[in-house]
Amino acid sequence: MCALKLKVRSILGLGVIALQLACAWAIVPPQPVRPGEELALSTAQSGKYGGRLAIALRSEPKTFNPVTLVDGSSREITGRLNADLIHINRATQNTEPALAKSWKVSKDGLRYTLQLRRGVRFSDGAPFDADDVVFSFAVYLDEKLHSPQRDLLVVGDKPIAVTKVDAYTVAFQLAQPYAAAERIFDNIAILPRHLLLKTYEQGKIGEAWSISAIASEMAGLGPFRLKEYLPGQRATIERNPYYWKIDKEKKRLPYLDEITFLFVPSEDAQVIRFQSGETDLISRMSADNYAVLERDQQARAFHMNDLGPGLEYNFLFFNLNSVLPKGAGSVAAKQDWFRKVEFRRAISAAIDRDSITKLVYRGRATSLVTHVNPANKLWLNPNVRLAPRSADKAREMLRTAGFSWKQDGTLVSASGAPVEFSILTSSSNAQRSQIATIIQDDLKQIGIKAQVVPLEFRSLLDRVFQTHEYEAAVLGLGGGDVDPNPQMNVWLSTGSNHLWNLGENKPATPWEAEIDGLMKQQLSTLKVPARKRLYDRVQQLVADNLPIICLASPNILVGAKNKVGNFNPSILDPYVLWNADELFLQ
Amino acid sequence: MRFLFSRLVHGIFLLIGISVLAFLLFALAPGDYVSEIRLNPQISPETLVALRHQYGFDDSIAVRYAHWLGAALHGDFGFSFAYNVPVTRLLGDRVANTLLLTLPATLLAWLVAIPIGVISAAKQNRWEDRAVSLGNTTLLITPDLLISLSFLWFALRTGYFPVGSMTSLGYEEMRWPEKLKDIALHAAIPITVLVLSIVPVLIRHIRATMVETLQSPFVRAARAHGIPRGRLLFRHVFPAALNPLISLLGLSIANLLGAALITEIVMSWPGLGPLLLESVLARDLYVVIGAVLVSTLLLQAGVFISDLLLFASDPRIRTKSAG
Repeated sequence: MCALKLKVRSILGLGVIALQLACAWAIVPPQPVRPGEELALSTAQSGKYGGRLAIALRSEPKTFNPVTLVDGSSREITGRLNADLIHINRATQNTEPALAKSWKVSKDGLRYTLQLRRGVRFSDGAPFDADDVVFSFAVYLDEKLHSPQRDLLVVGDKPIAVTKVDAYTVAFQLAQPYAAAERIFDNIAILPRHLLLKTYEQGKIGEAWSISAIASEMAGLGPFRLKEYLPGQRATIERNPYYWKIDKEKKRLPYLDEITFLFVPSEDAQVIRFQSGETDLISRMSADNYAVLERDQQARAFHMNDLGPGLEYNFLFFNLNSVLPKGAGSVAAKQDWFRKVEFRRAISAAIDRDSITKLVYRGRATSLVTHVNPANKLWLNPNVRLAPRSADKAREMLRTAGFSWKQDGTLVSASGAPVEFSILTSSSNAQRSQIATIIQDDLKQIGIKAQVVPLEFRSLLDRVFQTHEYEAAVLGLGGGDVDPNPQMNVWLSTGSNHLWNLGENKPATPWEAEIDGLMKQQLSTLKVPARKRLYDRVQQLVADNLPIICLASPNILVGAKNKVGNFNPSILDPYVLWNADELFLQ
Repeated sequence: MRFLFSRLVHGIFLLIGISVLAFLLFALAPGDYVSEIRLNPQISPETLVALRHQYGFDDSIAVRYAHWLGAALHGDFGFSFAYNVPVTRLLGDRVANTLLLTLPATLLAWLVAIPIGVISAAKQNRWEDRAVSLGNTTLLITPDLLISLSFLWFALRTGYFPVGSMTSLGYEEMRWPEKLKDIALHAAIPITVLVLSIVPVLIRHIRATMVETLQSPFVRAARAHGIPRGRLLFRHVFPAALNPLISLLGLSIANLLGAALITEIVMSWPGLGPLLLESVLARDLYVVIGAVLVSTLLLQAGVFISDLLLFASDPRIRTKSAG
């Protein structure tokens, strides 16, 4: 009798496990739209439900916690699991309502009052309201957590004050007017208070939602929710059945059942996976790989898109740091040349940017005169133009600056020292190494001997940021947004990314002082045309004084299988999945 | 018992020595985990300072090592800066996946190498021996990376094998036999590459030991007694040549671990290799130390097994140890 009971129990137990497994892998249907839900309307083409999309990521996500994440892969996945109050539409580059259906700005530009959508639910079915918003911002602004998002939410050295007006209204008080303040809200994920309040009170929110978290204990307001994470292999996200967007036919988005992110550590391997049909989308590839895939697109039923230049800009810069390490006497001596604007202009004039775009990027890049490239239509100063490359002009500038040439063509300074310096570059970035080699060749034509020194990336950063043991370097910076504000740390003389002269207490030159003033002024100027004029002047000053010699901006190259509907890639990150809720399989 | 104890003490000292060395090398390497975060223009210098403090980068390497060692003695091998989870949790699955490649590869490599090495020795300087020698040399001079890439190209063009990872999409919906088949298909190329990377070395050693043993007086006596050739080779000569080969077993595991790191990266196999590479590049200190210690442990386990086999197979060693 006892044995029989045990058998029945074990059979029942197995049945329950099987049922649980079956439920775990069942497709989650979208919930029907309920009366009173204030849903957002998608203007994209209506699609059909079903299917799984696969895409490769270069590295694994490090966390699913939006509060602590800093890496791109985590952002790529958690961006699909969460939603923000106001969102930057990657196609139009303008802000649009998200969880906030509308907002009002006070006349002095200091108070933003946001109206939240009613009837919205988290991916676990719990309702969303103003308490979640207030809680989320309290977490991001908590100094103890060191959330990278906190820096965005500190305006005029004071954190934004967030107060609940009523269950669906939240007010944000700024210490000073902040231009394009709506853009701050983009990518600030709203957290589920009902799940995380206790963890936060215990001081453990930094450890929450790590890669070992249980999917069912997480919830967000994004179009998808986490289904499974296999270390080293892949993460799968599934439809959030309560998502707050509908299409023109009143069907609740997203269309896809699942998206799988495969972890494929090299670009070449990603291309192979795409070619073999294992992945449906591909982004961020070199022009060489793009050419390989372009040849295959007819035969393998996919299409490739060249979106034009992205926001990344590659540049050459010299060590202008006033504080140098002991024993760096040779750098100090060369800084006399580097500090002469004529010298930097001559170097810029000698560099053949067209060769860089043709040889390094197979023509899939744009030559740059400043850090703002033509893709940034809203902020580009069209009057700042790139002069054609001219070795003669470069020689003339050098002569004016007191340099001369020896019989053998070697450029020498006024003191008779041969002009030679090293250019550091990242050994893991083939394109930048090639750029440095082209520059080396160009400078040879005007008598300058440049040595290219490829270094492991962190070693390079250590030299630039910590020890300042370098003479010149080729680096690249990007931006998540077209707006000038994210660039503050680069252009302010006290900024952490003011690469050429870090740790300045006050501007080293009058033009840097002017840039400081202009950048601070544009930050608090609310009228766009006035801001544009200020930023135009910044671009002019950068082009005239060349603290960084901008070189090229690579194009954003992407691809998708022909069956992927509503594929509308953008030059803003995330390039291909920004409208994951609207993608569908035909 | 004394043998086991001495092995254990030796192993502990080796692990401590390796951990000190790894910490020192990391201290000498420029840059740290927050170096790359600096390039994000949206992160302020204050946040970077706070992060450096939080991760303990302000302390000297000696202090950090002392903290780590103290915690490690209690089973806590530190946290990953990048993943914000305990190192042991991060390494657990990866070690199992690496073993899934290296154990079958070791077994297969020996199964392939033994008959080829024995036959090559028996047919010394004849065409069979020369053919084996040519094959061996070709494999030895071909980098593992090239072999991996050639197999990848083959898989891509033919579609017979997957081009990476350990399981297919939809693996979870499969039944057990299908799951096993799926993993076997994914492991086929990495295991083949690993076998090819180690087999030439094994064949050369087996051949050399067999050639030496074949010249022993007892073999001549056995031949004179008319023992058939096959029986003589595999029943008498091979066991006599076994001792140096058993010692080679431990070293072959070390070789395989090295080769597995590269193969796993090329084939996107979720083992220790990709994690170790990523952690070294990201300066994720405790993950690197953990991965290095796990590799050392695996190597020690291999050497230990070969010692035990030697102990069991050779009565002279047992007598010496007892004496």
